[in-house]
Amino acid sequence: MRQALFISWLWLVLLLVGRAETLPPKPADYFNDYAGVVSPGTTQQLNDQLRQFERDSSNQIVVAIYRKMDTSSSIEDYTVRIANAWKVGQADRRNGAVLFVFSDAHKMFIQVGYGLEGALPDILCKQIIENEITPRFKTGDYDGGLAAGVDAMIKATKGEYHGTGKTRSDQEGKTVDTIFLSIIVLLFLVSLVRGWGRGTVYSGGGRGYSSGGFWSGGGGSSSSGRGGGGFSSGGGSFGGGGAGGSW
Amino acid sequence: MKSALLVLGILAIIAFVVLAGGCSSYNHLNSLKQQTDKSWADVQNVYQRRADLIPNLVKTVEGAANFEKSTLTEVIQARQQVTKIQVDPGAAPNDPEVLKRFQQTQDGLSSALSRLLVVSEKYPDLKATAAFRDLQVQLEGTENRITVERGNFNNAVVGYNTAVNSMPARLYAGAFGFQPKPYFAAREGSDVPPTVNFNFGSATPAPAK
Repeated sequence: MRQALFISWLWLVLLLVGRAETLPPKPADYFNDYAGVVSPGTTQQLNDQLRQFERDSSNQIVVAIYRKMDTSSSIEDYTVRIANAWKVGQADRRNGAVLFVFSDAHKMFIQVGYGLEGALPDILCKQIIENEITPRFKTGDYDGGLAAGVDAMIKATKGEYHGTGKTRSDQEGKTVDTIFLSIIVLLFLVSLVRGWGRGTVYSGGGRGYSSGGFWSGGGGSSSSGRGGGGFSSGGGSFGGGGAGGSW
Repeated sequence: MKSALLVLGILAIIAFVVLAGGCSSYNHLNSLKQQTDKSWADVQNVYQRRADLIPNLVKTVEGAANFEKSTLTEVIQARQQVTKIQVDPGAAPNDPEVLKRFQQTQDGLSSALSRLLVVSEKYPDLKATAAFRDLQVQLEGTENRITVERGNFNNAVVGYNTAVNSMPARLYAGAFGFQPKPYFAAREGSDVPPTVNFNFGSATPAPAK
């Protein structure tokens, strides 16, 4: 009886907590400035840097800048739940890290996935925040602070894992391409066999190459795979590692 | 004779269905139970991490000139309580009393620690040392991890308890020895900042909660 009461109470709390806040949706890029404090050039540059870093190391580092926190909870509790919801990092290595910045509240937090806790211990996160980011933020230099912070996080986690030369979204683009290609090949073979069949039974015409129309549709999808490509999470998880700070 | 065979056949089919249903729900319950045990091990792990940090903290703080002793002894005593408590680290407890006692001693250490950190604000020399600042960061990180792992544990137990209490499995669960498991309760007084008595000199400890 007491337990039943407790469970219903737990659900009530969960409901209330759920209503008091909204977790932001999964970002489309590695570097996401929703507050509009960073110049487009820096955004582009850090995005490229972080995308290349995933190709090299398979580590996923994401930066998200918001104006304010949409919660009544603490920053460490709020951000760990966001990071877990986004599933930054590869599922098996759990090697993600997210730098959250809330520009109106002047607060930030680095959330570190389980697999990077060795390379990015809490103390190092604190040092990155206090020595690299905070001094620049204090002078209003968001571009410099974030570039230095991202640089430091990359340096710390370099060598922890080895990458495949591809990001998650590269691979997903690739598999789509592969599936598409195999369907084309299959259709081609089917048409070939049917053409052959026609050729022998009716003894007319050549081999059914006329149905080669399948080829014409093929070109489109392969262009999406390489080059750019946004952030695509791999299923990582977070256990509350990392540190925060304010400026 | 023929009808007896028919009845036997039907009975055999029923027995087979029951057995198959029992097996699949046993496997399902078992995997959920493994999940609670794993989460419990994670909880133990982060609490152990905190207990391991404390000797360093005590050493660092003791080095500070005339540091208020009562908060320090409180932390030491709370840690002794924590290491004394016997729980099976490999399996999530079935007995609510066991979990409650475990949580009480761990929460005792939490409040002793937060009192110590509040008191340390009064010692700028201590706060300025790198060793103390590092320990503070590590303790904060450990508390965050404890919160996360406790939440994960509760989630695992919710899934397990729901399965145990749901209708088809409910019939088998008792026979297979799957009992509902207790949750961590929200920390008592976690919404209230710790109270601190600055009683320099006198040895009366700060009021225990």
